[in-house]
Amino acid sequence: MSLDSPPPPAGPPPAGPQVGADEWVARQARRREYLPSWLGHAQRQAERVGWWPRLALVGLAAAALPLIGLGGFQLQVGIDALVIALLAVGLNITVGWTGLLDLGYVAFFGCGAYGFALVSSGQVGANGIHLPSYLSIPLVMLATAALGVLVGLPSRRLVGDYLAIITLFFGEAFVEFTNNVAPATLGGPNGIVGIDPISVFGYQITSNTGYYLLLVIVLVVTMAVLRLLEFSRTGRAWRAVREDPLAAGSMTIPVDRVKLMAFAFGAAVAALAGTIFAAQQISVFPTDFDTPILILIYAGLILGGAGSIAGAATGALLIMVIYDGLLRSPTDSGYLFYGLILLTLLVKLRPWRRLGLVLAATVALGFAVHAIATAISARAVAGSLSSTGWIGSALHDWVIVPANATVAGNWGFVALVCLLIALVQAGSRTRTILLPPTLYLAAFVWETRLSVEPAVTRQLMIGAILIVMMNARPQGLLGQRRVEAIT
Amino acid sequence: MSTDANEAGMAGPEGSGAGGESVLQLQSLSLSFGGLRALSELDLQLRDREIVSLIGPNGAGKTSVFNVITGVYEPSAGDVVFAGKSIAGLTPHNIARMGVARTFQSLRLFLNMSVMENVMAATYGHTKAMPWESVLRLPRARREERESRALATDVLSFFGQRLAGYRWDQPAYSLSYANRRRLEIARALATRPRLLLLDEPAAGMNPTETHEVTELISRLRDERGVAILVIEHDMHVVASCSDRVVALDHGVKIAEGSFDAVASHPAVVEAYLGRDPEALSDAG
Amino acid sequence: MGFFFQELVNGITTGALYALVALGFSMVYGVLKLLNFAHGDLYMIGAYVGFFVIQWFGGPSALSISVPLLLLIMFVLAGGLVGGLGVAIERFAYRPLRDAPRIAPLITAIGISFFLENAALLLFGAQFRVYNTADFISLSSGITIGSVTIDSVQIMVLVLGLLLTVGLRELVNRTKLGKQMRAVAADREAAEMMGINVNFTISATFFLGSALAGVAGVMGGLLFNQVTPTIGFIVGLKAFTAAVVGGIGSLPGAMLGGLLIGVAESMITGYISSTYTNLFVFALLIVVMLVRPSGLLGRAQLQKV
Repeated sequence: MSLDSPPPPAGPPPAGPQVGADEWVARQARRREYLPSWLGHAQRQAERVGWWPRLALVGLAAAALPLIGLGGFQLQVGIDALVIALLAVGLNITVGWTGLLDLGYVAFFGCGAYGFALVSSGQVGANGIHLPSYLSIPLVMLATAALGVLVGLPSRRLVGDYLAIITLFFGEAFVEFTNNVAPATLGGPNGIVGIDPISVFGYQITSNTGYYLLLVIVLVVTMAVLRLLEFSRTGRAWRAVREDPLAAGSMTIPVDRVKLMAFAFGAAVAALAGTIFAAQQISVFPTDFDTPILILIYAGLILGGAGSIAGAATGALLIMVIYDGLLRSPTDSGYLFYGLILLTLLVKLRPWRRLGLVLAATVALGFAVHAIATAISARAVAGSLSSTGWIGSALHDWVIVPANATVAGNWGFVALVCLLIALVQAGSRTRTILLPPTLYLAAFVWETRLSVEPAVTRQLMIGAILIVMMNARPQGLLGQRRVEAIT
Repeated sequence: MSTDANEAGMAGPEGSGAGGESVLQLQSLSLSFGGLRALSELDLQLRDREIVSLIGPNGAGKTSVFNVITGVYEPSAGDVVFAGKSIAGLTPHNIARMGVARTFQSLRLFLNMSVMENVMAATYGHTKAMPWESVLRLPRARREERESRALATDVLSFFGQRLAGYRWDQPAYSLSYANRRRLEIARALATRPRLLLLDEPAAGMNPTETHEVTELISRLRDERGVAILVIEHDMHVVASCSDRVVALDHGVKIAEGSFDAVASHPAVVEAYLGRDPEALSDAG
Repeated sequence: MGFFFQELVNGITTGALYALVALGFSMVYGVLKLLNFAHGDLYMIGAYVGFFVIQWFGGPSALSISVPLLLLIMFVLAGGLVGGLGVAIERFAYRPLRDAPRIAPLITAIGISFFLENAALLLFGAQFRVYNTADFISLSSGITIGSVTIDSVQIMVLVLGLLLTVGLRELVNRTKLGKQMRAVAADREAAEMMGINVNFTISATFFLGSALAGVAGVMGGLLFNQVTPTIGFIVGLKAFTAAVVGGIGSLPGAMLGGLLIGVAESMITGYISSTYTNLFVFALLIVVMLVRPSGLLGRAQLQKV
């Protein structure tokens, strides 16, 4: 080992950039990921337009929906979807950008709703407090943001998993708190009723159409604000903290303060959603802010793609339309169920020949099974389909529904889960073979169990979406795949 | 030969090339984890525009020195004085804002952010626009954004074609290894440092790139006017760019002085090669 | 004073149950660094397995086999089935995500927890299922010291809990599998390089941890009598608390944490009000995490740079 004299460098430094394989890949590769097939094509076209014309256009189209006859149940679905979308967009700040797993987020939603309810109803004092909404909404948002900072305080020392637990408990504590503490003020399980409507420029919003339009405007404005924030100094700091807190600290970013800011902003957006929710519902109950809602918000964010504002909103809207749509009559939700399966097959299954083969095999299998079952025992087809209308008559001779549909359906459900797992694990050829029985079994379980208990089915769907998305497409529909250094 | 005898002889901050006032002073700095002493009684001084190399075998405590200076660890005893002020115990972002920037041996880039954003993120401490100013595009926010972008462009162009314009919007993870090291330096420069700590800037590079690093370190001092403390294992880099070399072993300074003096210092040779007599005669 | 000791006994019994769930939770965290949010739901499934075993053998008041045999079948079947379910969950949902960003398996775990809970709702219904323990185990045949009674179910839970814990400790500390588990927990990649079958070790860990939750589920059924699809969530939450308070990844810590939470809960219920039990447990967790983020028996991790 000679430390004495440095030998001359191995060669003269290159004059210009050498385009090696690495450089070539870096220059050529489009790193953007798109949705499969024609959906991705549409996505590419949409990207040619700037973000704000796109947002404005979508906002206008959404606002126009009630004009072309969206009403009643559909309008309520729209309102629910917009509230969840607003929540998902807010959750994206902490989870998607700052990388903090905030499992108490739904409590901020609850604080917003309860806060608004307390200052806009006859609940407190003899005559109640009836603050005008231009005062109460900012007030509630600020208070909730402050609470967000308080809950975020542990994030200074606790990372990742520990923070998840603390915040999860915070969410639970909120429900316990509203259920048990100060029943005279918070109403216990009976909640708070008789909440004032929101008034904008002296105009009281009392109709569902009004709240729908308000929510569209609020969501579009929030998305625009967050978009401007994302590529500002603050947004960069949030994402830098997500990527590497230690390096961020060494690059002049006050990590703790930036995390708390993320908590505060997320909480404020959630509170905003809460105030509108409370005013629209006219009442708030502790169960409105329980874990299932939290998981719903997460499912929306994950489906759309954490880290992307458009993704969060799209995912939440999509999930809520399915979620609420399932509660309709068995036949109507049947359209949704079979339609979604067909759509998935259309997008995912290639080439066309394979798609046709699978569909034909499924149809044939169904008739064969039905015929065999009828021949063996009349009891095996004694039950009736839950779908009626043309789906019902189309499936009548295809899906078997035994006399004891519940028990058979339960076993079918277990078998379906096993088959689906096998399908995911299988290679391409086995998958083609497994698909027809899986599809048939899905229809069987749908007709015997799932459409009978839509409330459970939609929760199952939310859980399944989280599992499947994380495994199949963790970046969500519109998000960007992220890499993480393994250290 | 005995290790303890050598400390006094070689010590003494006679900076060779650069004069000027002292930028950084480590005063009998110690760091221990439980019973393990990572650094003990370390003294070190850096003057303005001086390049000092920190060498030593693996586990000698070199990176620990960086971590104490940048506030990642708090020293268990002793003091760190930067530009006349004690910075021991301050938070990393405050230290960085005062003018101490660093790179990481294990490359800690913001991988999923674009090259440009990586650099612009590091201007956080020197900008003041509040979130609502950014959202409303108020004058201060727009001015700062412009300045940050200009600064980022400036530090990226320091690397010439290597981090040329077409790369600015690519995510950092798409960069090659050598470019990631360059981006780390660019990012550190964007914090407007007076003192730059480089942790193995040439690790994992081929000979051509290593040569470039050597030139780069001198250019950083000449063009950016920063004092540089560099950890490096490649002795060619150390020899050709340092004004002064400090050798550490087991958290103790064993030699300090010009490269030639330190490289041939028996304690250093022993630290690297062990007490084998044959190896000693080879090196001598 | 008798009331205090009675509450203490009750607390320790519940604590032993939490400790068993927390042990499995902590083991899984040790090898995968994953908060398995679905762990509480495995407890729930275990409780259902126990219930259906009782029904299978004629129901609580008309058992066709002897009680010890029934208990044995309940525990073995619950442990085995739930353990297998845990292995399947790991294999199909967590394994593909081993090198994904940290947040991905956590969200998957939340999804699985939600899925299991609702699958149980679909399959078993929302109604309370009742063990009717008193119909086949005489609760009066216990030990009475002064005014403190420890009934036979409590004794069984305590003894079994102790046995399982000691057994687990011996397994982790003495056997080859235990050594492999500790190696994987310390550094998965290095363990793989040393020729350890990491996939098998993780599967085994999941089996053991889930089986403990299943056994605890049967114990819970015997102790509290009622089973619904939602019991998993709250027990899971208590087990997280126990594991975290004791120091996550540390087995003695999980034990200690479980007992602590059980006793604290029982004292709050006894002396203050059952309304505030959960809020109090939450407050305890916050205090411990702020004062000693690494838990009572956990070791602080050094930040690597």
